[in-house]
Amino acid sequence: MSWDYLLVQVTNGAVIGVIYALIAVGVTLIFSILKIVNFAHGDLYMLGGYCAYYVIEYGGVPPLAAMVVAMAALFLGAMILERLMLTPLYSDATERKDEYGLIVTFGLAYFLRNTAVIAFGPFPLKPPSFIPGVQRIGNVIVTNDRLVAGGVGVALIVGLLYFMKRTIWGQALDAVSQSRDAAAIVGINAQRFNSFAFGFGAALAAAAGALVAPIFSLAPDMGVLPNIHAYVIVILGGMGSVGGSIIAGLLLGESENLFTAFFPDPTRAFAYTNAFGVLVLMVFLIFRPQGLFGRRHLRME
Amino acid sequence: MRGLPIAIVLAAAALALANAGRLNPYWTHVAIIAMYYGILAASWSLLAGYVGLFSLSHMAFASIGGYTSALLIQWFRLPIPLGIVAGVVMCCALGGAIGWVCLRMSGPYLAIFTLGFSEIVRITISTEDEVTAGMAGLHTHSLLASATRLPYLYVAFALLALSLLLMGLLVRSRWGLFFRAIREDEQAAAASGVAVARCRIVAFAVASGFAGLAGGFYAHYIGIMTPSVGDLDEMAKLLVMTVIGGMERLPTAVGGAFVVEFLLEWLREYGQWRLPVFGIVLLLTMRFARNGLVTPFWLQFLRLGEARVSPLSAAPTVPDKESGT
Amino acid sequence: MSGRAELVRGVGLVKRFGGIVANDAVDFVVAEGDLLGLIGPNGSGKTTLINMLTGHLEPDGGDVLVRGQRMSGRPPNVYAAMGVARTFQQTQLFGRMTVLENMLVPGLARPHSTWDEVARRARRYLDFLSLSDVEQLPAKNLSGGQQKLLELGRCLMLEPAVLFLDEPFAGVHPRLRDKLLDRIRELHQGGRTFVVVDHDMESILRISRRLVVMARGSKIADGEPDAVRADQAVLAAYAGL
Repeated sequence: MSWDYLLVQVTNGAVIGVIYALIAVGVTLIFSILKIVNFAHGDLYMLGGYCAYYVIEYGGVPPLAAMVVAMAALFLGAMILERLMLTPLYSDATERKDEYGLIVTFGLAYFLRNTAVIAFGPFPLKPPSFIPGVQRIGNVIVTNDRLVAGGVGVALIVGLLYFMKRTIWGQALDAVSQSRDAAAIVGINAQRFNSFAFGFGAALAAAAGALVAPIFSLAPDMGVLPNIHAYVIVILGGMGSVGGSIIAGLLLGESENLFTAFFPDPTRAFAYTNAFGVLVLMVFLIFRPQGLFGRRHLRME
Repeated sequence: MRGLPIAIVLAAAALALANAGRLNPYWTHVAIIAMYYGILAASWSLLAGYVGLFSLSHMAFASIGGYTSALLIQWFRLPIPLGIVAGVVMCCALGGAIGWVCLRMSGPYLAIFTLGFSEIVRITISTEDEVTAGMAGLHTHSLLASATRLPYLYVAFALLALSLLLMGLLVRSRWGLFFRAIREDEQAAAASGVAVARCRIVAFAVASGFAGLAGGFYAHYIGIMTPSVGDLDEMAKLLVMTVIGGMERLPTAVGGAFVVEFLLEWLREYGQWRLPVFGIVLLLTMRFARNGLVTPFWLQFLRLGEARVSPLSAAPTVPDKESGT
Repeated sequence: MSGRAELVRGVGLVKRFGGIVANDAVDFVVAEGDLLGLIGPNGSGKTTLINMLTGHLEPDGGDVLVRGQRMSGRPPNVYAAMGVARTFQQTQLFGRMTVLENMLVPGLARPHSTWDEVARRARRYLDFLSLSDVEQLPAKNLSGGQQKLLELGRCLMLEPAVLFLDEPFAGVHPRLRDKLLDRIRELHQGGRTFVVVDHDMESILRISRRLVVMARGSKIADGEPDAVRADQAVLAAYAGL
């Protein structure tokens, strides 16, 4: 195995890691505000990818602008879904909220995935490149699309960090995640933040979907594994911290790509790469059975 | 259950079986598949509805049961029923092990863990194609040397009846009481002396065993096993069936499986659209009728018996306030 | 504790939550026949102590002994089987099960129990607690006070040697509270041992023979109610609030 191959794998791992982090940050955000594990997050990511694709194909919009359109569309769409389906979570009359959140988001995933098969067809679609061509550094070749995906992903995460730390909305979001009651006392309308957080998480997932589309192409079931990977990252990455998620995303992206590179049987390497991430998740859950989201795990009951 | 409803159920079953020969092969097949899902829905409701263990690996166990049986028969030329039993034993053991490993997990964490397990099972089965034939599918021996499907219908019915009888006895025993106590409040159940760990492991083992039984039957009925038998879409379908029927009672779960499977076939001309529509029905059920759509009819049916048998001493029927939504 | 059998003993119990020391080397003994009040300001570590003594919380240091047996690592149901029963600060019933079913669970969890015998005992206790009329209602439909009574009844079904009651009077209507106090006194005279936790001294003083006071994770007094009330440290702890 050559050094160049290894370097290519490391670069690819970093890009995928950033994408994973974007998805995981959304899961964390939704969990910390709504207190549910969103089983439909991977499907929002899938929808984001398709949305960008159709905006490019039929709207003639350049790919990066299409990503922004997809984010906006998913932001609004997810807020509507939240209003329609998740409001019982905030009512005292609802019992067994864990079960409700679980079945509803799982059912939502089923609905979105099967609707996607009908609406978009079962066959993979590939939008045009952000910037066609490749970059060559020595013997290492990386496509421009991967560089764009990585770069825009990092920019979005930096923007998110700025938003959370420096803006009033971000601070309010943080306050709601720590204590719904205390936030209500200082005059924050927690209800509004449920919609906002769900939409915001979905928009980040949509960005991730739009960014990977030119690299891996789109398919209705593309969200299943990234959804599980998001949980891995949330555990690995400091339990609800955005910064931790980024590092964990990179770690997972790298270790998966290196796993593929070093796996003795290349025909199976790709399949078991996915299993590897899942296995990490299961082992972590065995040792931290309640610890997925650490301190932020406040139940609403 | 009072006398009259039991009599009605038995009479209806006898009548249905006596006239089963009139079904054309297609609807016979649908009935058999409905019973396959019936066993799975009942055993999943045992786990998720009674004990509150929201496992997403139930279909993975059906797949493990099917593959175990098919492979053992292929390797050792076991008689088919023995192969199916071996699949059941395998699922009981693995299910118990999963139950043990996730003793300290609850709610979404258990769901994520079992989702992961089911993905690993699926990936392994598709990838190790030298053993399992992977995506191409593993050909299995037929359970019966029959040219028609009718005998399979009787076998499927017998298996469903046996499963329901055994699980019914279990949930009516003190174990059923402990299961529900754990669902309601695990901590209080432990403080009341309930061996929570043992109950959770037993529930996982038993439910997985029945999933393995269903999977074993399916393998030797259909004649081919593919990794998709245990995939996430199948799990979602099972969840749709059980929740729409009513996940907290065995008969309503089976009812949900029957209704959904029947409708899926009946509405076949609408093609792909059926699936998202059932997704919407699931969401609406959760939103507005959390006890399931079959449950009210079932309760009405049971009351029918009470009124006839002892109109005076009938216990004050508890208003069905379980949904809370 | 002269001559009376020791039921539950905590030796040097330590529990930390993050940086906070909830219990700092607490020693605690309950002997047969005690009717003990465990009091202290909010956040003084009473519930943490109870949770450790009944197996619901693994101590970071120290040991729990039930009838002389070391209990570390055992689940709460083993404590229950050995005669240690408890209620919870926020009533924890099996909400969607009927009142009678709530009573059957601990009864049937005992080895060699039969449905008939357990149902008979359950009805007797329900009668004793004036809950017979509601036995077929889901437990969550009861009033707050009735729920506390039912939780006590559920403990009694274990035929326990000692009952730990965590704030049994909180939020209970005064008339029901008197009934609860009467029942506790009656059961105590019948031979059961009680540890009653509360932050308000008044109710406890009406029945208890021995008081243990906690403050900031430590035991600061243990003895006859009158002596404890005169104790300077106790006064300081309460005044310091």
